[in-house]
Parts: sequence; structure tokens; C-alpha cells
Amino acid sequence: MGKRKRQRESTTVSKRPKEIKLPTVISSDEPVIEKKKWTNKQRVLIFSSRGISFRSRHLMMDLRRLMPHSKSESKMDRKDKLFIVNEVCEMKNCNKCIYFEGKKKQDLYMWVSNVPRGPSAKFLVENVHTMLELKMTGNCLKGSRPLLSFDQTFDSDPQWQLLKELFTQIFGTPSHHPKSQPFVDHVFSFSIVDNRVWFRNYQILEEDGSLAEIGPRFVLNPIRMFEGSFIGSTLYQNPHYVSPNLYRRMLRKKVSQKYVSRVQSKKSLEDRRPEESYKTDVTDDVFVTIRPEQAKGDVKNLFYRNV
Amino acid sequence: MTELESSDGENSDSDAQLQEAFAAGKLKQGLYVESEASKPNICDIRGMKRKLEELKSSLEWAQRLDITSSPAPTPAGIQHEDLEEVHDDFQRELRFYRQAQATVLEGIPRLNKAGIPTHRPEDYFAEMAKTDDHMKKVRENLLEKQLSMDRSEKAKKFRELRKYGKKVQQEVLLKRQKEKREMLDAVKKFRKGQQDKLDFLEDMEPSAKKQKQSYGPRQGQQKPANDIQPNKKRQSRDTKYGFGGQKKRSKYNTAKSAADMSDFSRKINQPRGAKGKGKGKGKKFKNQRAGKSKRQKFKNKN
Repeated sequence: MGKRKRQRESTTVSKRPKEIKLPTVISSDEPVIEKKKWTNKQRVLIFSSRGISFRSRHLMMDLRRLMPHSKSESKMDRKDKLFIVNEVCEMKNCNKCIYFEGKKKQDLYMWVSNVPRGPSAKFLVENVHTMLELKMTGNCLKGSRPLLSFDQTFDSDPQWQLLKELFTQIFGTPSHHPKSQPFVDHVFSFSIVDNRVWFRNYQILEEDGSLAEIGPRFVLNPIRMFEGSFIGSTLYQNPHYVSPNLYRRMLRKKVSQKYVSRVQSKKSLEDRRPEESYKTDVTDDVFVTIRPEQAKGDVKNLFYRNV
Repeated sequence: MTELESSDGENSDSDAQLQEAFAAGKLKQGLYVESEASKPNICDIRGMKRKLEELKSSLEWAQRLDITSSPAPTPAGIQHEDLEEVHDDFQRELRFYRQAQATVLEGIPRLNKAGIPTHRPEDYFAEMAKTDDHMKKVRENLLEKQLSMDRSEKAKKFRELRKYGKKVQQEVLLKRQKEKREMLDAVKKFRKGQQDKLDFLEDMEPSAKKQKQSYGPRQGQQKPANDIQPNKKRQSRDTKYGFGGQKKRSKYNTAKSAADMSDFSRKINQPRGAKGKGKGKGKKFKNQRAGKSKRQKFKNKN
């Protein structure tokens, strides 16, 4: 039973080739119709180092699922030198690479590279939401080609221009890729806000422009761009970048300084406090007396008559 | 605090330098804080441009599908604020959404021109990015959210209704109490003889029987408020002792009142046998006030 069902599914899944109607009369003067071919042979290797968190792994899998021109590779040892990635790519016959690097079990770095000759860029990945989250309601064909939407800021500075070109070549699925679908039904959107690149993936619900988010979503905070692939001189260094270690240290310092300053202020208050507030005469209160009704505590004993 | 400390912490050499600088007029007023050494800011523009030229491929747009677009105009009703957009989730996401929307609006005609299909026929089945199981979960989640929202809304409405009902009930209770009080007052007044008629008994009833009487013509037509008059006895007493108006100075003697002898009756004030002897004897006898019980009995009769 099960087998039969599977067979039926496979028949529905398989693509229906478009019926090609040949013209009844063909004149020899007409130019020959070129066959559509898969010419743009981009292949992207998507893999990671050991020690990435589950969320980062899910993000990686999502990217693999959305990009039919991607290839996978087993996790790389952390101790290996980074330029080995180039060799791995070469072995896998890939000319682009997305490499995830997990550090301290919490920070995720992402390398994006054009493999044989560069350039490459390193990002810190922040605010990761994967496709599996239930609040993203959109859906698209597996392996359909995306439209790539770029913010206008991408045309301003050379570093953004370079990144735009790199993203276009990596995230854009080549047309007529064997694993891809013929329809365009989703948009990858890259926007620059706050010196970071924000990635979103939307489904095109209707052609009038209503969208639904598919996911994943993440924010890329650029750190450095290199001339070569995982190697070479620095082309650009982000002056706004604060490493997560430094950020955490500042937070901790802030908390610790709170305690230190409190102790200090207490001590200084002690130091500043005068020993006597006013110069008073000791004999001033000689004539201050208490009436027996107002006496409290032990003072009462003064007023008891000893019988 | 830290700034102060840092300025305190400077050694004497720099103090001397500062004094010199101040004497030379280089320093201005205000607090000077040591600035952090800036990071080496590497930005090799020429290198980047060269790399970009190297990287650029001469592929047509149908292969690349990239579009640069500014966000589509905001729909009416949603205000767009540029301030603090990064930290306002809704505004930020709206911006990304509109950017993607602009791209779609621009891209679809271009795709159509390039002969790339954008609309999937309904009988075209293929594996989706999210599995059916997952989409089912998403749908269930959405449904559950909506349900819970509906439920909370219903509960809210019910709570409000209950509050309103309570208020109405309280009002009714207060009204009834008020009516009762008025009724008792009226009865009391009647008993004391301040009111002549028993109209209030009818006035009270319409509120209870309003629904029955609403369609028919009113039987006991209400008189306007200023038409109600106290009984005769009260009226006479009012004229005698006064009711309303200024009481001050109203009982002073005037020349006229002093000369007024209308109240004087010889019979009463100067009885025959009272010459020379005790004046009040006859008067006392004549004008004697009835006993309390008798007076009350008399009052009840009226």
C-alpha cells in the first residue's frame, strides 16, 4: 500500500514540461530559436565550523533549502586554518562560499566569499529567526528563484556596492538550474539600517504587492572585507563594529561599577560627615525637665516613690 | 563622576602644562575629557572599486533578478516616523516590507517581459520550502491565537456588560429608595397637615405602572408644581407667623402697628370683673390652651 502511494506522489511532484507548439510552417529565413540553457554556473558551498548553536544550524539548513544552487559539506574543525575553506570549495567545485563560524557557543560569524580570487567579507550575525518559527506564515516552492531587493543605500558607498554584487551572485539562483523551479514566487530583501544589513524573505502572495514573510530573518553586522578569499589585505573595516565580547564586558563593567560607586559614595559620605553638627552648650538642657505623665521607659522609675 | 575623577587623576606635570596653555588662551571653559584613541579606519576605496570591476559579471537582468528600490509609499493611516526607526520593531519591519513591495511591483512586469512565469498554475505541484506538516502547525497556531483573542474579547465584553448591569441595578435601587423616601415624606407632611391632598399617592403609582399606562391617556393629570397649595390651616398659620421671605426686622413695631388696635377686644382684654384686681385672671380663663392629648386628637381629626 505504502509503496503505491509514494509512487502516486512522485508522479504529481514531477514537473510538467511545457507543451511546445511547433508552428505549422517554418521558413528557413527565421532565426533559429535558441534553446534555453543553464549558463550561469554559480555554486555556493554552505557549511560551518564545529560548535555552532542549534539556532545557527537551523539558519544554515534554511539557507540550503532556499538556495538550490548550494552544496553542503561536513562541519570543519575549529583548529583548521581558514584558508583551507578555499580548498574545500575547490574540491566541491564551488565558486562561492557561505561559511558559518560559531564562537563561545553563542556568537555566530558568517563569511561570504568569492572563492578563487576574492573578495570576502566577515559578518557578525545577530537576531536570527529561522524558517521553522510559527509566526512566519508564508511559503514558497522549494528552489524557486528569488527576486533580490536592495536598499538604495547599497548604491552609495563602495563597500556597500561590493557587498551588493557579492550578495547578488551568491543568493540569486541561476535561471534554468536543474534543481530550481521555473516560477518566481519570493523576494529576498536586503536593507541597510543602523550600519547593518537586514535580511528578510517574503512570499509574493499576489502580483499587486501583498507579501507574507517566509523567513529566515537575520541581521548582518559587517566587520571586515578582505581582498582575497579568506585571506589578503583588508579592503574595509567597519568603524561602528563592537565585538560581542567587548559589548558583554562593557555590560558587566557597568554592573560592577554600580556596586563600586555605591561603596565609594557611602565611604565618602562617612568621611564628609562632621563629628558634631552644631556647637552646643552642655549646660543648655539643665533646666529641661519632664513631667511625670510624659515619662517613658526607665525614666518612669525616677518618679516612683520608694516605699 | 568618572569624568571628574579622570580630570583629578592627572599628574602635576600636565597641570603645569594646562596652566601654561590656559595662560596662552588656548583653553576654553568646560570639562576636558581624554578621548579614546580611534581605531585605524581602513577603507581602501580604490581597492574595492577594482575588486568590484573584477567581480562584476556581464549577465543579463533575467539571470540576476536584482532590483534596487526605495520603500513603496506608506498606505494611508499609518504614520511613518524616521526617528528611532531601528528600535521600533513595527516601523522597521514596515519599511522592509515596503521595500520588498516596491521591488515586487517593479519586478513583476520586468519578469513578464523577460518571459519568466510568476504565477504558478493551480495544478502545478512541487515540494515547498516549508512542509505541509509545518504549514498545518502554522495554521493551527494562527487559529489558536485568533481564538484566544476572540475569547478574551468576549470575556472583556461580558465583563463590561456585567459592570453596566450592576450600575443599572444600583440606579434602580437608588431610585426606589428615593421614591420611598419621598412617599414617606409626603405622608408625613400630610399627617402634619402641611399638605392638603392625597395626590402623591397617585403620583407614586405611575412609576410602578408606567408600562401599563404608557399607551392610554393619563387619568390623574399632574398639576404643575406651583399649583400645589398647603391646606387652609397652614395657610392661616403662615399668614400669622410668616413663611418665607425676610424674617429680620419684619416684626419690628412701626408707628402704624403700634397704633393698630384691631386685635384689641374689650371682652377679652378688659373683662368686667377685672377692674383693679388681677388683670390676667379672666384672660387666663378665656384663652386657656387645651391639653396635649386633646390637641393631638383635634389634629388627627383634621
